[in-house]
Amino acid sequence: MDWKVVANAPWIWIAGFIQAGIGIFQAWYFLRLGSRILEKHGGYTRKDIGAIARGALITAIGPILAEIFVMMALVIAISAGYTWQREGVGVGSVFTELVQASNSAIGAGQEFGTDSFNMVGFATAVFVANISCIGWSLGAALFTPYLGKARERIARGDIRFLAVITVCSTLGIFGYYAANEMKKGGGKLVAVIAGAVISAFLFKLADWIKRPRLKEWALGIAMFAAMYIAHLFAGAS
Amino acid sequence: MAAEKKGFVDIEPKVFEDEYVKPVHKVGFWTCLGISVAMFVPPLLLYLIYGVFAPWEAIGAGMALALTYAVPFFFIEPISYYPVYGDAGNYMSMTTGNVSNLRLPCAAVAQAVAGVPEGTRKGAAIAAIGIAVSVLAGVTGVFIGSLTGGWITAQFPGWLTEAFKQYLLPAVWGAVFGQFALRGPVYALPALIIAGIPLMLGLKAYFTIPIAVFGTILLGWALYKWRNIAPSEGGD
Repeated sequence: MDWKVVANAPWIWIAGFIQAGIGIFQAWYFLRLGSRILEKHGGYTRKDIGAIARGALITAIGPILAEIFVMMALVIAISAGYTWQREGVGVGSVFTELVQASNSAIGAGQEFGTDSFNMVGFATAVFVANISCIGWSLGAALFTPYLGKARERIARGDIRFLAVITVCSTLGIFGYYAANEMKKGGGKLVAVIAGAVISAFLFKLADWIKRPRLKEWALGIAMFAAMYIAHLFAGAS
Repeated sequence: MAAEKKGFVDIEPKVFEDEYVKPVHKVGFWTCLGISVAMFVPPLLLYLIYGVFAPWEAIGAGMALALTYAVPFFFIEPISYYPVYGDAGNYMSMTTGNVSNLRLPCAAVAQAVAGVPEGTRKGAAIAAIGIAVSVLAGVTGVFIGSLTGGWITAQFPGWLTEAFKQYLLPAVWGAVFGQFALRGPVYALPALIIAGIPLMLGLKAYFTIPIAVFGTILLGWALYKWRNIAPSEGGD
């Protein structure tokens, strides 16, 4: 039996649909819950919620397209069905998936991407990739309430200090990712700097010209513009 | 559309607890448990339909390699990201992944559009909406992408595909950093330095990320305590 045929058979698409169904239900439920509390007790209108959702959707386009482009590596290396099952509501990035497949192949005494990789390697990859990421979802199920309690205890309801924690942790996270790319220099350094400058400028501009709707587009525009500038720079250098 | 006007008023804590937090934990718990169980479906189906099950020694060796890489992130990611996206955000992010490149930017924009101060109850509900939208869009995008195989990517010129692969992520990191640098300019450069030093020393990501996050929080705490410095009210 050719593992490539099995890897794209209906079973894996169905498994993907089951997982995606849970993820979609969860997102839909939280979307409805968040909208409802804001409308009922937060003074928000349908229109306000629509603007928030639109901003998120515009921002999501770039990263999703990027994911689809990178995902093709997985489609080619394994199969479309496996890609759907792992990436639809998968925790791992495409890169992680390829690493997991390679690790599984090593576990099975094979080498991923060569003729030695067969049904045994594939079955190992299916098991390892899926089961090894349960840590994230199970951890969330069991420990999320404690994360909130820990934060409350640290901030003791001080709203200004909660803002300090949020802004600092965001800058810490993205500072790490930004610095990691800046270290590589060249186009990547340019992409980080251009992204930061353009996004900061657009968010400020929205306030200056009193066009709050520009904020819905700010991150989306900044991403694409910075990507293009980095491409031009890399082509020129 | 900045929904928040001057003089921010948050949702009553009791109302928020009863009508939002409780159902979030209930549904979050069961869906996360559900997705954990659903992870067993692919290997199970492969066994039931084709009679193929990986040899245990291969699984053991493969899992050991995979978990060496993943286990630190089981702890670091939720702890580091939680202050940004809250309870519902954590359930969704740990179910669907792609946190830093997709979920967090969408949460950040949602809050900026609403003009809501960070760390508030309203902010948590708004971040949840932003992340939920990104999940629905993401699942749809990946489905279409997988179904059409290489067709979508083939429609783009080669240079653009390459630009996406090489530069989109650095552009995302920069853009979100720029947005939040406006919210707290005083923390921006130190945040880069705090992350940069362990990076230069070649420490692994699972050391560097907590150093970057908690180092910057520590700095923020010190500035708040001794200089009374905090981000201005109302998201930019």
